[in-house]
Amino acid sequence: MAPLAASDQLLVARIRSGEADAWSELIARFEGRLLAFVEGRLGRRASGEDVVQETFLGFLNSLPNFEDSRPLESYLFSIAAHKLTDHLRREGRRPTLPMAVGASSDAWEPPDRARAVSSMMRSGERRAHEETALVAALSQQIDRLRSRGEWQKLACLELLFVRGWANRDVANQLKMSEQTVANFKFEFLARIRTLVKKQDLSEDVFPELFESE
Amino acid sequence: MPTPIAQTDLESYLDEGLPIEEMARIERALRDDGGLQKQLAAINARRDAGVHSLGEVWRRHRLSCPTREHLGSFLLGVLDKDLTLYMQVHLDVMGCRTCQANFNDLKSRQAEEPSTSEARRKKYFQSSAGHLRRG
Repeated sequence: MAPLAASDQLLVARIRSGEADAWSELIARFEGRLLAFVEGRLGRRASGEDVVQETFLGFLNSLPNFEDSRPLESYLFSIAAHKLTDHLRREGRRPTLPMAVGASSDAWEPPDRARAVSSMMRSGERRAHEETALVAALSQQIDRLRSRGEWQKLACLELLFVRGWANRDVANQLKMSEQTVANFKFEFLARIRTLVKKQDLSEDVFPELFESE
Repeated sequence: MPTPIAQTDLESYLDEGLPIEEMARIERALRDDGGLQKQLAAINARRDAGVHSLGEVWRRHRLSCPTREHLGSFLLGVLDKDLTLYMQVHLDVMGCRTCQANFNDLKSRQAEEPSTSEARRKKYFQSSAGHLRRG
């Protein structure tokens, strides 16, 4: 998703200054998609409307902290996801998770990511820089695939990295050979590694990028 | 579709990012599976420490999500074959919830009476306008 479009930026600025018309415009633009998002999960229109209502209130309350560089739609969806989670917890449908995982302070660390331990103490600013670098690298590669019309490759990479499917399952789903899927994955990771290295980031930051090396 | 619940599935679950039937499947499993609950708590703790996987960053920033205009063209059936197949995978196999919501909204705008959505918008506005300029 692109960063906040100029029209959205202007709309947010008008809402910040208290313009009721701008608020009404934002509601008209986004309520339908937000309702579709929560309703699919709740299965009931009335509860869905309640959650959307809470989402809009949540947006207004968080407006002083909203960063203009953030896409507006994604921000609204993230608020809706939180409100939906709260609603499902209240209904008892979504279990409440334990806050701690054990006595060990590093119990959060997946076994194959031991190298990332050192990154635990990184500053918030540093983490934001690292994430920005990864987003830039991924966006560059995704835009490259789009501009070349390599849609099947993009679908393949989404299933591998966003859904975490195994090569074999992706190959079966997209009717490709496993070798082709493996080649796509290898080539993509190599490009992302190169781009991330150019930013002088340590391998510890995103260890999964370097696991196959 | 793989049946075991993978780490990536749990990460997506925490973000309300899985297809609805997958969300329900994980919720059912969580009720009886203490190990799965610990796994989820571990992901939360890892995130609190600022460590995120490539997939989480990709999903959170919606880096490959099609635009609403593309979704509209898909609805109208005017995209070329390769892009149409990609949209089908993104919506139905990847199960991108936000794109599904946009797509369903576009569909319902064609079918819904304008007075129904107007009444909803009015309700949202009336319940929230008092919070304008609060910050």
